Amino acid sequence: MVNDFSRASVMAACGLVLAATTGCSRWIELMTPASTPGAPVQLIAQQEQVPLILDRITVTRNGANQPVSLDTERGVLASIRDIGLFARLGAPGSADLSANEKVIRAHVFVDEALDPHPGAAALKGFAIGASMFLLAPVVSLEYDYAAHVALELVRWDGQVKRYESQSAGTARYHLFGATPVLIDELKGHVTDACWTALMRQVVQDTPFYLASSAPLSDSPIRSVSVKGRRPDVSVTSIVPISATANK
Amino acid sequence: MTEQRRVLILLVLLSCLMRSIGHAEESRPSLPFGTQEIGLTAGYLLPHRLTTHHTTKQSGPAIMPSWGMVLTDPVGTGWYAGQVILGAEIVYIEFERPVLTHGVGFTPKIKYLFQGAYSIRPYVEFAGGPFYTDLAGRIPEESARFNFVLTAGGGLSWFITPRFALNAGYRFHHISNAGTRFPNLGLNSSLPFGGFSFFF
Repeated sequence: MVNDFSRASVMAACGLVLAATTGCSRWIELMTPASTPGAPVQLIAQQEQVPLILDRITVTRNGANQPVSLDTERGVLASIRDIGLFARLGAPGSADLSANEKVIRAHVFVDEALDPHPGAAALKGFAIGASMFLLAPVVSLEYDYAAHVALELVRWDGQVKRYESQSAGTARYHLFGATPVLIDELKGHVTDACWTALMRQVVQDTPFYLASSAPLSDSPIRSVSVKGRRPDVSVTSIVPISATANK
Repeated sequence: MTEQRRVLILLVLLSCLMRSIGHAEESRPSLPFGTQEIGLTAGYLLPHRLTTHHTTKQSGPAIMPSWGMVLTDPVGTGWYAGQVILGAEIVYIEFERPVLTHGVGFTPKIKYLFQGAYSIRPYVEFAGGPFYTDLAGRIPEESARFNFVLTAGGGLSWFITPRFALNAGYRFHHISNAGTRFPNLGLNSSLPFGGFSFFF
């Protein structure tokens, strides 16, 4: 009797440990972009470095425009700062830049695609629930995140270089391993992979960004393009039009 | 309760509602994937005799502590946009009628929380699981103490803050033993309920 009870207790404890360890597990699969060969470390004179102004960041998620968070801006600046190519980084209208200074202007476009697989999550969730959570350590759920990042660098003489990179990842988790941190980790890995690839491309073009690469434009007047925002083509707008029939 | 006190309570509730609607846009979308929910719901079971063979008018209070986890970010567009929440709850019922008896069960639960408007988010939910009650054997409808409970219903969550919501709604409640013993007519009830949820 006592043996039966202790055997059952041990088995229950093992089951609990197994469920707790496997039911909470999570992992991330990253599909990194085809790696460009890393540029060799280059030494450049300090007076050859020019400042970079982060002019604009555009973020879209599943096709819809998103407000740009301070964290995104900081992340972009940190990635650019890490390569050490530019003298200093700043926001548009930085007071410490003189009008006739050679400067690089950066435009960043981030297109994110999120897919939490809601249908599969609901179905698998139903199955897990129906099994009284016994299937929780066996059935895994997925969350996909992909990012396409484009960086446009405009040199002081108007020449533009565009760099692009994309990366995707899937977070797989068991029910009890679901946490907002998991998605932050996934986004962090994917974004990091994108920026690493992007910065490799920029470093390969180091001579293009050196102060001696081009003279400062003589013309003090610079032109800018002014335009309205493009309408979101995916949203159908219905404009009521009154019509009268002529008899 | 005096009339003045009733008016005062009504005013307090209205001011809370207006306040929550005021910052509704901040509070509405704040349930990211992986957010957990714990809640407590209480209601009162009211009998439904669906056939002429049903004679028992079972009734009594029910208490349901629950846990859930947000499995998706907001999905869909328009009125049906919402999030899937998977969880479980413990159901405790004290049958006051026809005999003072008790029942306790454990039910995995799936819930679809609509995006709603302002700080009000409607939801539909479905739950089912084993249920033990000593009411069985004392009524003609049920013979086995080990039963199953199935519930389906809906409600409204009023997010007073982005992390705290008051809930109210209705569930249809069915208890039967899945044909493991006879008779097995089943007990059907309405369960209007109220409660609250914390999200973290």
